[in-house]
Formats: sequence, C-alpha cells, structure tokens
Amino acid sequence: MDESQILDLWKSYDKKLEQNLLLNRKNAEDITRIKVKSFVSSMKPLKIFTVVAGIVWVFFLGALIIALVGKATPFFLIPTGILFILNVLAVGIYFYQLILIHLVSIDEPILATQKKIASLRSSTIWIARILFLQLPLWTVFYWSVGMFKNGSIVLIILQLTITIALTLLALWLFINIKYENRDKKWFNFIFSGYEWSPVMKSMELLNQIEEYSHQS
Amino acid sequence: MPLKRDTHAFLEVIQSNKGIIYKVANSYCKDEENRKDLIQEIVIQLWLSFSRYNEEYKITTWMYRIALNVSISYYRKEHRRHDINQPLPEGILYFNEDQNETRNADLDQLNVFIKELREIDRAIMILYLEENSQQEIADILGITITNVSTKVSRIKEQLREKFSNLNKL
Repeated sequence: MDESQILDLWKSYDKKLEQNLLLNRKNAEDITRIKVKSFVSSMKPLKIFTVVAGIVWVFFLGALIIALVGKATPFFLIPTGILFILNVLAVGIYFYQLILIHLVSIDEPILATQKKIASLRSSTIWIARILFLQLPLWTVFYWSVGMFKNGSIVLIILQLTITIALTLLALWLFINIKYENRDKKWFNFIFSGYEWSPVMKSMELLNQIEEYSHQS
Repeated sequence: MPLKRDTHAFLEVIQSNKGIIYKVANSYCKDEENRKDLIQEIVIQLWLSFSRYNEEYKITTWMYRIALNVSISYYRKEHRRHDINQPLPEGILYFNEDQNETRNADLDQLNVFIKELREIDRAIMILYLEENSQQEIADILGITITNVSTKVSRIKEQLREKFSNLNKL
C-alpha cells in the first residue's frame, strides 16, 4: 500500500466519522458545570500533605538528634542522622514534584508537557530507592556497648548478619532500581501492581522524548 | 473576531472538531470502556483550558495538544477519582455505526498498526494523516520541522512495510 492509498484510507475514516459520530450536547454541557480539577492538579493536595508531614518528621528527627547529642549512644545518633539526611532528600523530591505539577500546562507542546509529566511520575522511583536505603538503619537503633560486652555471641552474630545483609541489599537495590532493569524478575516483583505501571510507563516515555530531543 | 469563552462557544468548538477527539482517543485506547473515560477526560481538560486558549494558534492546534497530552499520559486507574468525588456524565461522543455497512478491513488494519506505534510516533502519524502541515505538526509537538520530516518518513516506511508483510501472508 502506498502513501496516497494510506491517506485515502484515513479520509474514508473521516467520512465515516462525519456520518456516524454524534455529540451528546447535554452531557458535554454538564461537564462545563461541574467543578473538577485538572488531572495533574488533582495530585497536588496529597503532595502538599506529604511535604508538610515530611517537614514535621524531619524537624522531629533534627530536634531528637540535637537533644540527645552527648546523651545517646552513637548506635542511635548515627542512624538517626542518616535517616534525617535521607528524609530531607525525600522531602526534596516531593517538593520537586510540586514544582513540576505547577509547571505542567496541558495545552503546551506535547514533548515539553510529556517530559514534565513523565519526570513527575518517574521521580517516584527515587522515593522507593530512598525507602530501601533506610532499611538497615532500623536494625541498629537499639544497639548498645553493653550488648557487645555482655550479650550472647550467637545473638551478636545474628544481629550483625541481619544488619550487614540488609545494608548490602539496600545498597544493591539503590544502585539497581533503574529503568534498564525493568525486565528483570526481581524488579517486576517489587514494582508489580497497577500503582507502579504509570511510573514504569513514564520512564519508557522519557526515553522516547530523549530520542526526539537528540534528533532536534 | 475574538472567540467567546462561554459554554455555547465551547460546545460549538467541540461539535465542529469532535472527530479530532474521537480519533485521538481511539488511537490511544484499546477498549471501549477506557475510550469513554478518555474522551470524558479530554473534554474536561479542553473546558478547563478553554479560557486560556491563545488565538495566535489555530483552534485545532490547541485541541490536538490537549487531546494528545491527555491521551499519552492517561492511566485509567488514576482517573477513578471522578467516580469517587462526583458522578460525571459518561457518554459524550457516540459512534453510531450502521450494522449493514461493510467494514473496511484495510482501515481496521491501519488503526491496528497505528496503535502499535510508540506514543510520540503515534501522535506524529495521526497529525500527518490528518494532513496537518509540517509546521503545524512541529508547533503541536514542540520539535523542529526537520525532525518532523525525518520522523514522518520513518513512520510511513514502517507502515508501508507492515502492510506489505500483511499482503505476503
């Protein structure tokens, strides 16, 4: 089939639509009366809530560190400090998403708009990476010098094994959670479920946009 | 004369360009239920943006931008909010197909091939088939005319190949 035949085919589609496509004016008019937010703006309240809750949590962690310096053990202070930094980063990502939501305008050119929407969705993957990075910290808080001096050697070995294993796993996941690994079994296991499909799709879309940008 | 921004003017714009909404939604949605939702979302976004429509551009450029932007980034699960918040009128566009009319197999196949293209390529192909100029396609997508020209040639070649492979079977 040559180009003109394809174009003629599409014209026949137009003709078919002209004859058979009907607009339900009442339903269309009803839409103009209902108060709805744009689908990007509808994400805003949850993001604002997360930023506010995140800031409160970060302040709490910060205050806790300041209050306990010199009093608590390094086993408590160091993981809390790392947790503080990771949570500041997470709040930063949510803040970045809020800025993107503000910048998205659905009537602007496709590539620019899609880049913002896809960046907005795919940045959620960073939240997952940070979340995994926090894992080993929760196995260290309750350590004490006394535990190492007087504790059972079996329990100490078990404790260290769990912490080291989780640290390695967290670092490995942090490095390997990326679009290039989307077809791996472990990746699909973690990111299965419909809530992740827009994120995965956005990463694929960002790749397409990147290709177009290189050719411009 | 500047365009009025009231409901009546909006409905006239939708009526005159309903084919754009349907063709874009149909190219990005496989099943009818999803398509209904997508058409509803496109009309909502068109209405929300109507007051901001910049008359420097053709009305069709504005419509293509919104219809394509909504369709490319549309995920049905995310849009269930409408059902929870408030009921929205469902059927906006109806395709009243004549049962006695013979279906055009080539046209059905062309639609299948278009749906197989990647999202941005699909947008380019729809705009090309709709006989938009390269400048218009560039304005809608936000890329250069050279890029449009290269991409259109490549996608046309892909479609030709698909049809010729089909004929070989």
